[in-house]
Amino acid sequence: MRIRIRNRAVGAILVALALVVSACGDDGSGDGTKEGPTITVSSFNFGESLILGEIYAQVLEANGYPVSRTFNLGSRELVNPALKNGEIDLLVEYTGSLLTFEGGTPTPDPEETYQALVAAVTDAGLVPLAYGPAEDKNGIVVTAETAAALSLSTVSDLAAYNGTLVFGGPPECPERQYCLIGLQEVYGLEFTAFRPLDVGGPLTVAALEGGEIDVALLFTSDGVIAAKGFVLLADDLNLQPAENIVPVTTDEIVAAYGDELAALLDSVTAKITTIELTELNKRYGIDAEDADALAREWLEANGFL
Amino acid sequence: MIEFLGDLFRWFVEHWDGDAGYLVRIWEHVTVSATALAAAIVVALPLGAWLGHTGRGGFAAVSLVNIGRALPSFGIVALALPLTIRLADAVPFIDSGLGFLPTFVALFALALPPIFTNTHAGIRSVDPETVEAARGMGITGTRVLTTVELPIASPIILAGIRIAAVQVVATAPLGALVAYGGLGRFIIDGFAVRDMVQIAAGAVLVALLAVATDVGFSRLERRVVPVGMANARHRRTADVG
Repeated sequence: MRIRIRNRAVGAILVALALVVSACGDDGSGDGTKEGPTITVSSFNFGESLILGEIYAQVLEANGYPVSRTFNLGSRELVNPALKNGEIDLLVEYTGSLLTFEGGTPTPDPEETYQALVAAVTDAGLVPLAYGPAEDKNGIVVTAETAAALSLSTVSDLAAYNGTLVFGGPPECPERQYCLIGLQEVYGLEFTAFRPLDVGGPLTVAALEGGEIDVALLFTSDGVIAAKGFVLLADDLNLQPAENIVPVTTDEIVAAYGDELAALLDSVTAKITTIELTELNKRYGIDAEDADALAREWLEANGFL
Repeated sequence: MIEFLGDLFRWFVEHWDGDAGYLVRIWEHVTVSATALAAAIVVALPLGAWLGHTGRGGFAAVSLVNIGRALPSFGIVALALPLTIRLADAVPFIDSGLGFLPTFVALFALALPPIFTNTHAGIRSVDPETVEAARGMGITGTRVLTTVELPIASPIILAGIRIAAVQVVATAPLGALVAYGGLGRFIIDGFAVRDMVQIAAGAVLVALLAVATDVGFSRLERRVVPVGMANARHRRTADVG
């Protein structure tokens, strides 16, 4: 008897919920809201990705798309399967890194890398939209004092000091082509030691600043490089592949919303430059401004809101 | 699963030698652990013994040490790092503020509380009548502490050192986060490249080293504790049983 009453209660709650949900849906369609599946926008677990995620989420909202956010999800190993499963629907990726993750080999040429990426992920149901001019690659960085004392401006210049400098970067660096392996094979560099630190984070910055390491691996769009007066050495032998930002969505979303959605997002992607991205990163990481406020300000300044 | 165990076995066969082999990593692990433990003994044992002997300031000291217990070692590593980097800059004979130094600071802080509290409690628990008898025999001052109280308290003190040693060995992998070597390298580097075999191998080695530490210190306790005390402990156990 009691069980039956409880079942009825559960049923009543479900009916009530269904009414509320459908009421919400009806409510939206009146004022220019698009009909269709909710677009779950996601991001990796670092500042730049959060800011970019916010930019795309806010521009979609402003144009009447139903949006939800699942930010700070983690590394590519976690976020990529979620995108393929349809748990998330939109993620701002980097062409070279995603292609490497999918088993391809990126080149320094952005268009070539992008075409290879499109070919690599189509079967998995992913749709890379147009890539943008902004890039974020592995950068080899020294302090201003080191650059002046050893007169360094390119990565090749480091070869003159083989066997005298200490290099620091993420723990996976010795296993990666675009990190220690490439520096040894392409540039012929030899460091006295490699110090495993963090992924372009505060530990690497503190170690470089404190003179614990002479050369660091940071990310080219990292605002900290300019803020601390570090010198980014030019990748003169083109070791680093193209790493243009590219919003990636799924077949399902493209089928539901079509070209209009792609056109909107492409117009945003085209406007984001590396310089602006670096500035946004600096304001997020060093001045501690909020990602959503930074995103709104950028969208307003560029006429999207 | 069988395949994984096979890979794990192969890992142990292939990675024992060289600068990044596990023999070197075990040595680094033991070096930082032993140094931190020794430093903690030098600080905590005399302090705990003296405060226990005089019965002064004991409550305040125990409270302070117990607050220290609540600090996570990871937090201490993170807090220590900027200071050790600055220290290495200022002091010429310290080459690096990364690696050994911040790891040492965290492990030292971890080892203090068990050694201090056990020493303090061990000395306090000595029967006052025994101390009174020693005084009656003409033993005075510090000699009461060294010849009567410390030997009687030694099983409890050594247990504190053993607990500290096992905790230190099990926590030393954190050093890999700040560029130290040790067995944590296999876990941190393995995680960075999603190499499950390497992570498992590192974890197995840490666990084995921690168990070996526990067994080693238990043997040491049996040897070092005075014969009379060891018997007393057995008798007490027998009485309870």
